[in-house]
Amino acid sequence: MNDNSSGGGQHDTAIAFEQVDKGFNGRKVLDNVSFSVARGEALCILGRSGTGKSVTLKLMIGLHNADAGKVLVGGKDMATLDEDGLVKVRRKMGFLFQSAALLDSFTLNQNLALPLHRLDRTKSPDEVRHAVGETLRQVGLENDGEKMPAALSGGMQKRAGLARALILKPEILLVDEPSSGLDRITAGEIDDLLIKVKSERCTTMVIVTHDIHGARRIGDRFAVLDQARLLAFGTPEELDGRQDMRLRQFISER
Amino acid sequence: MLKSAFESIGRVTLFGARALRDAWTRPLEGQYMLWQFYEIGVGSFLLVVAAGFALGVVMTLHTRSTLVQFGATADIPAFQSLAFFNEIGPLVTGLLMAGRVGASIGAQLANMRATEQIDAIETLSINSFKLLVVTRVIACCAMLPILTIFMDIAGILGGFMSEHLVSHLSWTLYLQRAFENVAFADFIPPTLKTAVFGFLIGTISCFYGYTTNEGSDGVRKAATKSVVISSLVIIMADVILVKCIFFLFPDQAI
Repeated sequence: MNDNSSGGGQHDTAIAFEQVDKGFNGRKVLDNVSFSVARGEALCILGRSGTGKSVTLKLMIGLHNADAGKVLVGGKDMATLDEDGLVKVRRKMGFLFQSAALLDSFTLNQNLALPLHRLDRTKSPDEVRHAVGETLRQVGLENDGEKMPAALSGGMQKRAGLARALILKPEILLVDEPSSGLDRITAGEIDDLLIKVKSERCTTMVIVTHDIHGARRIGDRFAVLDQARLLAFGTPEELDGRQDMRLRQFISER
Repeated sequence: MLKSAFESIGRVTLFGARALRDAWTRPLEGQYMLWQFYEIGVGSFLLVVAAGFALGVVMTLHTRSTLVQFGATADIPAFQSLAFFNEIGPLVTGLLMAGRVGASIGAQLANMRATEQIDAIETLSINSFKLLVVTRVIACCAMLPILTIFMDIAGILGGFMSEHLVSHLSWTLYLQRAFENVAFADFIPPTLKTAVFGFLIGTISCFYGYTTNEGSDGVRKAATKSVVISSLVIIMADVILVKCIFFLFPDQAI
């Protein structure tokens, strides 16, 4: 089932998947998947482990290429972009990894300053320091800038990862399992941060999650992946109205 | 088995060629490169100096017991310096670095791959190959000759200490005898050949660390392969490089 409705015209589409196939070692993890995400919208991708949710995010940012079909970001086909083209598209995107993936030999300040030093050479060292401090303040880590990632708790690492993803003020934020490994309260704090970013900056978000409670708080639409195919796509209310038992397993809060 | 070995050789060669090509392109990653110089150079200094000093002592003990039979103990300093400058200094420094730096680079990059840190760098629009591989390869090439010089100095110092305790030979006379037969070709080409060792260590260990995709087991394999293959390749390359030096400086071969 491929539902292409995104609620916006072509010019309002931030990300589009067109009949995308992707496999690893002969096993398909995405099979003929199509959907689109409108600008400013938050899409939550739900599904069981191993159904290609994280791969979907990595296709969006060009870490993987589709075996077939097209992945369009801002109207650009990711597979056809050269290195410079990819850099330009990625500059508009932020990625929060499931493990936060902070560079473990850098302090938090250095982790956040790295993209600024490389990509915004107009900024003076003082401006970089200010931008890093400001972003850390937004995620509540203003006093932890000199700490190494290993010295942080899981929740703090997630917040630091989010700060790094936000440092370049991305138009599109990709988030992989924001609540995994966190207690309910800390997961709720991460969700609050994402909601704040979305409302303040009108950032387009694609969030892979197992946490249906958090997904219902943040997501404008849900995409449900099952057995490599798109099982359902739509607003939470639309999906709640469907009688598909398999779908209900993924979207009911129980 | 043979096919796989040739495939690996081909892949490492292409990887090294890419590192050589990218070394001349911007950005130069100066800050990160300096850090690698520090990690590889300063971090290995004590190991190299301690090993060189101990080898110097041991070599003098061995050569003395042999040369004393021929009444040629006056030649001990010359044997010591020629042996260290020509072969012991460069080869032992290369092997020590293959152990220390090879394992470190292989494990670190494999861990960064396993924990998605390399993917994170890519998502920040930073060329991870340039940042992580090229800087390490250049640092290895630059630091090996410098460390070799310190190994030579420590070896000669160790030889002097050993000789001084037995024969009370003065430092001035020891140095005079050590250097009177040393030609340009005894010192410069063998020292510079360690830049090739550095390139091989950097390329091989970066290759196994950067290209692994096997999680934590990949870290173990990358560290082991980096050390074993770097050490083996250095010894094999030494044969070729010594023949090249003999070809370019025929007096050395006599």
